Amino acid sequence: MFFHMVLERNMQLHPRHFGRDLRDKLVAKLMKDVEGTCSGHHGFVVAITGIDSVGKGLIRDGTGFVTFPVKYQCVVFRPFKGEVLEAVVTMVNKMGFFAEAGPVQIFVSNHLIPDDMEFQPGDIPNYTTADGSVKIQKESEVRLKIIGTRVDATEIFCIGTIKDDFLGVISDPGATS
Amino acid sequence: MMDIDDAILEDQILDDRRIFTGSVPKEEICAHPGFFAGMCMKCGQPADDDSAVPLKYIDKNLRIANNEMARLRDKDFKDLLCHRRKLYLVLDLDHTLLNSARLSDIKEEEEYLSSQRDALPDALKTSLFRLDRMHMMTKLRPFVHTFLEEASSMFEMYIYTMGERSYALEMAKLLDPSEKYFHSRIIAQGDCNRKYQKGLDIVLGKESAVLILDDTEAVWKEHHKDNLILMDRYHFFASSCKNLGFSYSSLSQLRIDESETEGALPTVLKILRQIHSLFFDKGRKDNLEDRDVRQVLKTVRNNVLRDCRIVFSRVFPTNFTGELHSLWRMAEQLGATCLAAVDPSVTHVVSLDSGTDKSRWAVKEKKFLVNPRWIEASNYLWKRQPEEKYYVTPAKNNRKNWPTNESHGTFER
Repeated sequence: MFFHMVLERNMQLHPRHFGRDLRDKLVAKLMKDVEGTCSGHHGFVVAITGIDSVGKGLIRDGTGFVTFPVKYQCVVFRPFKGEVLEAVVTMVNKMGFFAEAGPVQIFVSNHLIPDDMEFQPGDIPNYTTADGSVKIQKESEVRLKIIGTRVDATEIFCIGTIKDDFLGVISDPGATS
Repeated sequence: MMDIDDAILEDQILDDRRIFTGSVPKEEICAHPGFFAGMCMKCGQPADDDSAVPLKYIDKNLRIANNEMARLRDKDFKDLLCHRRKLYLVLDLDHTLLNSARLSDIKEEEEYLSSQRDALPDALKTSLFRLDRMHMMTKLRPFVHTFLEEASSMFEMYIYTMGERSYALEMAKLLDPSEKYFHSRIIAQGDCNRKYQKGLDIVLGKESAVLILDDTEAVWKEHHKDNLILMDRYHFFASSCKNLGFSYSSLSQLRIDESETEGALPTVLKILRQIHSLFFDKGRKDNLEDRDVRQVLKTVRNNVLRDCRIVFSRVFPTNFTGELHSLWRMAEQLGATCLAAVDPSVTHVVSLDSGTDKSRWAVKEKKFLVNPRWIEASNYLWKRQPEEKYYVTPAKNNRKNWPTNESHGTFER
């Protein structure tokens, strides 16, 4: 799920950036530091959408660096149990398949793939129904449901399932070629 | 709009309710067949099991429980054998399929290898690669592409190397540029459960259907040695010989290479083909699933020196039990019968010195007198070698006769 929220961060800035465009430098550094990172609580910071306030700077003893408390608005992404996501398949093997939804890695094991889909080894490993009408292979887009999440300091892992109504392939790269 | 903290809280409450009231059915009795990043891959609950097998080469967070491994192996085995008529083949990289050297270790005589691609001899244009990013130069063994192509129709192939993962992936790119053969079946150092030891426990194949090609016997666990086909080492670069303590010139220094048609890979491909056809022989009455490739390998190997009766002379140190010597065992594996003393039935005397009693007896009785390399050569080439090539000289020069591990190239040249 995506959330729009306000977060706060203390930014350290080197004295060489002090000047007319100090604020721009600060924002640029904030984006570089924060976007794409993951916090255990909020999930992934997708994008910074605005700066609420930049507090008073505090000079650090000894180094000359200045710390600014910055409040910023951002879009974060955190998967939840029960959530339905669309993801791109990255690897298919005998154990199941791996898929990615943005920065989140999801594993769908063969226990959670419908029973009528069988693993097919070969040049392009895939899971296919007996009649061949549905095929999951690398680069396929699938709709899946999250049934377990683990949020680390820097990564989020999920267990997904496609063994439920309305889940499974939504686009098949093999079909067009 | 929902707030993130509310959402997290709600998630937590749902979890707690599940644990305290047990209101969620069937998921509670999940057998936890495997784990991904500390969650069960079937029910999604936090769970882990230390005895589960880590399959780091597929994903660093993936672990599969032992009984699930057995189930997967079984399922895959039936599918592979019955529908695709294939077996498993585990391939080592260095000295088996290719040879690599650091750029800094390239000797003066080998400088010609660093020249522009256009200036290289024709044979090297397609098989020599300079990997500047890894500071390395890699030479693929002659015939390797044909080998992989042909072997892939009979085997599901794995790469299993003691090299680092990044190196293994880079080599896989050279060997398999269109990613047809290996996919995620690339096992490198750090993926194995024990350091400096290769085991089949992380390979998703039943041991009775696995063949291994490797140049080093010692890295494999003892009970996998029946699956192993030992390869004649490929030393292209000078540093590769030096690292293993051999003093002779490498192929690159001599500006030659293994033969495309008679080298180690074509030889072993023939054997693999033979084993494959024996395994799937339609004339066999037993159940396909009960067959064991190790038995087939043994039978094929047993035919190499069949009907040879061998006596050793001055090969083993005094007071050494001959039966324990590697040459004795090698000869027996090849189907020969080893004897302690000469008798009229003996066909070969393997000796290091043409002056011993047994050697002279062999000459007098018109038996074959060969040096120990004859056994090694027959072992690597899977064929009884012409005895005249392996003559024995008097003891003064016997360094020449002694089978060092200097196997490289000597059998083809």
